[in-house]
Amino acid sequence: MKVEERKFDTELAVIGTGIAGVAASIFALKKGLTVALSGNTGALAYTTGYLDLFGSLSGQDLAYVDDPWKAVQDLAHYEPNHPLTRVSIDDIRSSFEEFTAFISACGIAYTRPGDKNLEVLSPVGTVKRTLCVPATMKAGTEAYADRSRCLIVDFKGLRGFSGAQIVANIGSDWPGLRHARIEVPGLSQTEIYPEVLARTLEVPQNRESFATAVKEVMGDEQVIGMPAVFGMHRPDEVMSSLEELIGVPLFEIPTMPPSVPGIRFREMVEQVFPQKGINLIPQQKVKSVEFNDDSATLLLADNYGPIRIEAKTVILATGRFISGGLEAHMDTVTETLLDLPVFQPVSRDQWYHQQYMGKTGHAIHRAGLQVDDAFRPLDSEKKVVNTRLFAAGILLAHQDWIRSRSGAGIAIATAYKAVEAAADFLSK
Amino acid sequence: MSEPSTPILDFKKLAHDLLPEGASFEACLTCGLCSSGCPAAGLENMDPRKFIRMAMLGMNEELSTTSWVWMCTQCRRCQHVCPMNIDISQLVHKARGNWPNELKPSGIVRSCELARSTDSTSAMGLPPDDFVFVVEDVLEEVRELQPRFKTMQAPMDKQGAFFFVNQNSREPMSEPDEMVPLWKIFDLVGADWTYSSKGWAAENFCMFSGDENAWQEVIKQRVDAVNELGCKVWLNTECGHSYYTMWNAVNRFGMDANFSISNLVTYYAQWIREGKLPVNSDWNTMNLKFTVQDPCMIVRKAYGDSIADDMRFVAKALVGEDNFIDMQPNRSANYCCGGGGGFLQAGMTEQRRYYGKRKFDQISATSAQYVLTPCHNCHSQMEDIGHHYGGNYHVVHFWTLICLSLGILGENERTYLGPDLASLEVNPVV
Repeated sequence: MKVEERKFDTELAVIGTGIAGVAASIFALKKGLTVALSGNTGALAYTTGYLDLFGSLSGQDLAYVDDPWKAVQDLAHYEPNHPLTRVSIDDIRSSFEEFTAFISACGIAYTRPGDKNLEVLSPVGTVKRTLCVPATMKAGTEAYADRSRCLIVDFKGLRGFSGAQIVANIGSDWPGLRHARIEVPGLSQTEIYPEVLARTLEVPQNRESFATAVKEVMGDEQVIGMPAVFGMHRPDEVMSSLEELIGVPLFEIPTMPPSVPGIRFREMVEQVFPQKGINLIPQQKVKSVEFNDDSATLLLADNYGPIRIEAKTVILATGRFISGGLEAHMDTVTETLLDLPVFQPVSRDQWYHQQYMGKTGHAIHRAGLQVDDAFRPLDSEKKVVNTRLFAAGILLAHQDWIRSRSGAGIAIATAYKAVEAAADFLSK
Repeated sequence: MSEPSTPILDFKKLAHDLLPEGASFEACLTCGLCSSGCPAAGLENMDPRKFIRMAMLGMNEELSTTSWVWMCTQCRRCQHVCPMNIDISQLVHKARGNWPNELKPSGIVRSCELARSTDSTSAMGLPPDDFVFVVEDVLEEVRELQPRFKTMQAPMDKQGAFFFVNQNSREPMSEPDEMVPLWKIFDLVGADWTYSSKGWAAENFCMFSGDENAWQEVIKQRVDAVNELGCKVWLNTECGHSYYTMWNAVNRFGMDANFSISNLVTYYAQWIREGKLPVNSDWNTMNLKFTVQDPCMIVRKAYGDSIADDMRFVAKALVGEDNFIDMQPNRSANYCCGGGGGFLQAGMTEQRRYYGKRKFDQISATSAQYVLTPCHNCHSQMEDIGHHYGGNYHVVHFWTLICLSLGILGENERTYLGPDLASLEVNPVV
């Protein structure tokens, strides 16, 4: 039996389905480019739903940032090579506006980027700063800002989320906060995953029995928070239906992976992108990229057989170590797909600082690809590797996205510029 | 005589040997996306993540003997959502094969034995002569009672026909009239097709029993039958696992198949696009709502989303764009219904229905009155959980709705339609 290779032509191939790859595809779609997107299930499913731009000053005192725009502007002074210094404030704002507008239109409503960071709850009840939140989490930031009388409801059998823990962590700063635990009607299993509960709540009858159980533990609270379980699909409708049944505003708090906001985001992408004309090859990693005179050839395979993509331009958004964009060997770090030069500490003994939790962070976290202002990877002599190749996201060097709470910011803003540069190249 | 016992497998070693580098159990991040998205999670206090952790801890005796391997339907959704692309179903397959036959669910073992008992390869043991007789008998009746089809053919062993069409045994055995709509479709589009008296059956429970040799043997009989007739395309009927068992085996066992392997859904879509099947949704004046169930075996495990998109194209053409509602999640991310992997024949009814609750909720959330699916196991399971949990939906094959839409569905071909459609007369469009 002959196995046929499927071949696709595209103006832009995006490699990687994390936030950067997804954002790049959205921006390219808006510019009218044909897009092929491929990558493994990706970091998307691990996201909390919060979109951070810049939440904490890394490398200094780890102080919380209230004004992320000023923090990004200040980067030029103390982190001149940081990827966000290559994107103007206006462009970063546009990138967040476009990204959140697209997702909102596709069924997961988001707040627009404001002038200041929002204070939001982490899964364990600490407070962090972020720029945009899903509409299902908005009432939580408002309730905390107003210190409203609030009930945190959690569920018997749902591990990794505890209302008691949240109250213990933030209760001294939020006097009107209380918690209660309910049994979810109809879910008899001893271990409940948020995903299962979210799917259950997509059925109207299940919402009714659920709402009844919540009302039984509710006092005179003005608002109720729960782990993120308000449906996987059309969460805003599920939430408003529950609010109607329960009678007070509700909000979601992100949970540890496997979390609903991440899976929700991924499933939305998988469903909407093909409808919008993006050629999505889901859950598959590109195996090789080869540049020819007038295109790049990408090879990959799915269960059905081999696939070849001929692309005029390529954006590499393959992430770091866990996603497989970078690989750590005994004494060096390499880029896995094209063996691009990786900026890194000169030797392994400099990868980590003595203090694991120290404020300065670790040098290895700042390893990655070096690029020019058009987000084109550079070789060891600082020359552009290939004029058709661009890179975006946390694969880029000179940033520590975890400590600075800037993962989504770097992904979205650099994807915006990389697409702009690719479109420029294509128009020439 | 001593009681049979299950040999102990070394699962860590098996994973190392079977799984590609980078997707071995060592790569597991223990994030739990697999278990969170698995309808069998919780059964037998087991789930995919626990399976991996227990393998890494060397708990081989527990894994070798846990009956959970018969509740995992090997749908591969765990692999689909795994960031590291770890395939647990291959290990489950090995574990199943390792059980002594006496201890395996007898329904699965029996169905495999029956498939090997005749040249039909039918899991219900229907011999070639009986199959030929039933086809002739039913054809004769249709020719007599339905004048529009008085010259219709159901060719048998036709040398050189383009399509070799396989047949799920359920129809000739227990509901022979259900074969007719597909014959009518072939008649309308002018397909050059044939049944075969040998190797005609679709099902393959030997694959589900984990018996590699028996699986290969059954498929070899089918491959030989197609090669002998010199057909160009082995066309799989509306039965999910029969596609996978053939397609996967031909590659897995390196068989010489001088034909291509296709699914009926692909051709439904093609014939509608070409105008050969002029279906429309005019009949749906009640605006009945429909959803589709994506069989794991042809979507996630084989073709991917392309066939799922064809299925939606066909469904929308049949019922109207506005009357189609997708289940969530869907296509490659869809849940197994719980009828796969031989679960329906395994006798573990309570566990199977627990598994199917996820599917029942999915269907309920759409509020659709009908579920279309090109898979017999999906069909049976969704009917059963619908009755069990008090659902308000009916499950139908595509062929039923295609013929209904064209105004050529006979009165004996309406078993699965609800009262709203059972007596609906549609003017023939062809």
